[in-house]
Amino acid sequence: MIKEDTRADVRERPRIGVYALTSCYGCQLMMATVSDILEVANVFDIRCFYMVSSASTMDEEVDIAFVEGSVSTEKDLKEILEIRKNCKTLVAMGACAVHGGVQSWAEGNLSYDEIYEEVYGDDKIDMPGLQAAPISQYVHVDYSLPGCPPEEDEIMYFLTTFLVGSFPEQKDYPVCAECRTTGNPCILIESNVPCLGSVTTAGCGARCITFNVPCIGCRGPVPHNTAWFDALATVFKKRGFTEEFVRARLKIFAAHNKNLDKMLKKAFGGDK
Amino acid sequence: MRYVKISRENTYMFLERLKDLGTLHAPQNISEKYYDFVEVDDVHSVIFEYNRTVRPPRRFFYPEKETMFKFNMEEVEEYPVEIQSERVILFGVHSCDIVGLRIIDATFLDEQPDPMYKKHRENGIIIGISCLPDEYCFCNVRRVEIVDAGFDLFFHEISDGFLVRVRSITGHKLIEPNLDLFEEEISKEDTDYIAEFEVKRRSMFSIQGNWDDLRYHLEWNMDHPMYVRESEKCLGCGNCTTTCPTCRCYDVKDIPNLDGKTGERVRFWDSCQFRTHGLVAGGHNFRPTKKDRFFNRYHCKNAYCQEVTTSYCVGCGRCTYFCPAEINFKQNLLEVRGEA
Repeated sequence: MIKEDTRADVRERPRIGVYALTSCYGCQLMMATVSDILEVANVFDIRCFYMVSSASTMDEEVDIAFVEGSVSTEKDLKEILEIRKNCKTLVAMGACAVHGGVQSWAEGNLSYDEIYEEVYGDDKIDMPGLQAAPISQYVHVDYSLPGCPPEEDEIMYFLTTFLVGSFPEQKDYPVCAECRTTGNPCILIESNVPCLGSVTTAGCGARCITFNVPCIGCRGPVPHNTAWFDALATVFKKRGFTEEFVRARLKIFAAHNKNLDKMLKKAFGGDK
Repeated sequence: MRYVKISRENTYMFLERLKDLGTLHAPQNISEKYYDFVEVDDVHSVIFEYNRTVRPPRRFFYPEKETMFKFNMEEVEEYPVEIQSERVILFGVHSCDIVGLRIIDATFLDEQPDPMYKKHRENGIIIGISCLPDEYCFCNVRRVEIVDAGFDLFFHEISDGFLVRVRSITGHKLIEPNLDLFEEEISKEDTDYIAEFEVKRRSMFSIQGNWDDLRYHLEWNMDHPMYVRESEKCLGCGNCTTTCPTCRCYDVKDIPNLDGKTGERVRFWDSCQFRTHGLVAGGHNFRPTKKDRFFNRYHCKNAYCQEVTTSYCVGCGRCTYFCPAEINFKQNLLEVRGEA
């Protein structure tokens, strides 16, 4: 456990834990460096925070657990079950935890054994692996905080709504909404680039497109089955992009989405 | 109405002087193909001939995001916020967008004036400019191709500059101290130019007539196959609504502070193309499918507006021009009218 906080009101403060499964620790870094981090540390009782303290453990009882990373190993699976057991509210934090992350790219194309062989050949590794998956595949997730990494304002919004006993409202509209209000031209229409903004959850303020870089969907598909991959794939098809290209691009961050393959099939026709 | 005349060269000088009165925004290129109202630095980068801006002018008076009030949950009190508003001068607004603002006025000012919108609007100066339509424009069938209210000055193209209609007291106040730039003598040649310009302009629209009866066509054909077919193509991205000069929907969100008791309520633009627009307590959704949401926009723009005007659509063409799926609003409406 992180060094005991002895201040008088510590017991009244919500206990939070910040954990990491297979990931880059980027979400934790984002959380550890929010500009109000000192105040956050004052109003919450931070029981564990893997990036900040190596004394962090999974068996702390917490009110809110923020978990980054995908379940990619047997160890991850054991840990996420442990975290779920010890927390009241579980927040999947970042692209890996919410959608499986880039490590899920091969989902639906290659089996775990095929991926293993590609990477390690005949070598043996100590850590038994699993096909990378979002944590919701194994445990109940209460709230999702998307992003690669999540935005500071969203991290603060999650923390403060929990603090007042409320809950964070999920964004369920695409990046395009923020892109237009930011005043960007639509680069898909104007420059014929394969921008995924229309199927990707908003919240980033269309950062990439503002710098003329097409969206690759790091915030994951718009939730509640409102990411219309079929309509977008039809647009891409009309603009000359191949099915392989469109599938590969959408798989970067949306490989685990149940609608993806059937919607792509609908747009491109045929079995492949 | 008072008319004055100004040369193109003097117009730049006039714009330079307007900059001293507030923040001047005018159409400028933001990419190879697109325009937007951008704060003017170099007056020579202002474009007099443009088709449409990505963002309609409503954002100057009805910002995408605005704090409504602050609150304290322990004291159970709310505190007003000081409305941050400065003088905004919009130069180069097309007639469709001027009518668009008046439609927004009807919502935000008529019955229960919205204090934020009211203050921003009072701080606004609107200077219109004449234009020629492209294939996306259909303001003529919406009968807003000529406006005679809702602006302070309106610049009409003439051979060597602009003939200016002075509409308001504010407009007079803009002209009076700058008479060195304007001519008060209007020639027959100038008015002939405008008359000819209008004839030419009218002939350029891809459709003619008027759509005052459009509401009935929509109401009589609620199950027209167009809705299913076209909504299939829809990305649900909301570009049609965020670029629309008359969309007014907003959502509110409470953002608490780290002290655990205070916070602020923020309102931000919403879109009927998004799932939560029709979502209410208990999980019921008035428009659960993409088709329902698609249908809503066609009817909101054309049939849900009996009180205020014949149409909430001003025919600016943005919803089609900025649709990545190339869904053609005008064409689809023609289809419902049986005129495609």
